[in-house]
Amino acid sequence: MQTETMDAAEEPSSILWGLDPLFSAFVRLYVSDILHMTESTQVPGIYFYNQHPVYRVDVLGTVVYKREREDFFCYGVDDGTGVINCLCWKSELVKDDPGGEGGDAPGGFNVEAELSKLRRSQQERCRLDIGDLLRVRGTLKTSRQQREIMASNFYRVCDPLMELQISWMMDLPQLYRDCYDKKLDSPVGGASIVVRNFLEKNSVSRFRENDLKELLEPLVVQGTHTHTQLQQLLKQTLQHLQDEGVVYPKVKSPDQVYLVTSRDKELLVAILDVIREDSRREKYAEKGCHVLHILSAVRQRYSVNVSRAALQLLVQSLESSSDIISTSDSHYIAF
Amino acid sequence: MLPSAAVFYFPWELNSDLQDGQSVRTCGRLVDYQPEESKATLSAQHASKEHHVIVHTMFVEPFNPIIGAQYIVLGETDGNEGIGTTVRARVLNCVDGVNVALLHKAVIEQRSFFRERERKQCDTAKSADAT
Repeated sequence: MQTETMDAAEEPSSILWGLDPLFSAFVRLYVSDILHMTESTQVPGIYFYNQHPVYRVDVLGTVVYKREREDFFCYGVDDGTGVINCLCWKSELVKDDPGGEGGDAPGGFNVEAELSKLRRSQQERCRLDIGDLLRVRGTLKTSRQQREIMASNFYRVCDPLMELQISWMMDLPQLYRDCYDKKLDSPVGGASIVVRNFLEKNSVSRFRENDLKELLEPLVVQGTHTHTQLQQLLKQTLQHLQDEGVVYPKVKSPDQVYLVTSRDKELLVAILDVIREDSRREKYAEKGCHVLHILSAVRQRYSVNVSRAALQLLVQSLESSSDIISTSDSHYIAF
Repeated sequence: MLPSAAVFYFPWELNSDLQDGQSVRTCGRLVDYQPEESKATLSAQHASKEHHVIVHTMFVEPFNPIIGAQYIVLGETDGNEGIGTTVRARVLNCVDGVNVALLHKAVIEQRSFFRERERKQCDTAKSADAT
């Protein structure tokens, strides 16, 4: 559970929110967690679970309280960990009282009768009683110190054998372990996505460290240590990108130029040449060249700083353009 | 205004240790129903012993009692009555055909997840204090 106090500084910067996959999902949280999340100080209506920005949730539970108003239902939903109010607006179909039974023309398709049937079934699914099972998806809001779900979609679930409830109970711990309780490796993960998008969008083929400063500045919380924080973030981000092979420095120097691997035509040609030449040699003719062999050859000919990850990226792109063929998961051959 | 959350307990965990008025949910086989007293009895077997839960059905009447069927009950504990704990039912649903073993597994899974998470939080709190 989240602690109730979280400083504004601890809140992830709002620029990074969109990068969190949970932000655009209906998050299946336990009701107790929904009730204990902290609200954002930057934007009301956004809540934080483990630093993940959340504003929409998906809940399945038993209705234990109900109140009906002219325009909406108010259901209290209990999932075994907590109880939360759900505000469910009545749709036009539910509000209208269904008229009398349309005369069913024998054998014919009567639109009016079908429509009233549809209306009735919709009413049945939206009008719940205490003890019914409700599935509700919607946005969160806090009104009068009480957290509520403003339902965007809700319906009664027919689950006489509890199959859905049981699978829901089994799924949630897994979801928490795999996603919700994992911290986004921020801000480096976010920053590297920002840089990647920037490189792709502007077709950058080479850049210096300083060129990225402006780009990453909004990701750092403004304060006294902004400069050192920015430097650190920059270093970490570049390291991360290098580890992934997205960029590499051709020549190591104090103010080095980074090359974007996927746009480095020379390296691509160098790799292709190595594979072509060596595939002709008897030793490799049958099985192809191993990635590490290609790597050492490229390092000798082209640049010592080419990483295996960078090579792998280019080899994959060569393979998908059918310039080379993989003979095993780490051997490649060209004809 | 909203009732408190009904946490799942197995019938054999409902004993005098629980405070009166605590919201619980549990399940069991309906073995007896006395409409004139609004009293139903659920039973479940665990570790070769039969456990009973007395259910006050005043708030959920009328309902269709099927003797021998699995029911799930949600309500407040209300003292002990000889053979078992009493639960004042707010919800009583027939779930006959439910895979009881799987349900138990899901409950245990959920509990172990909560325990694991609590332990992790304790650890992080401790390490935060230490620094």
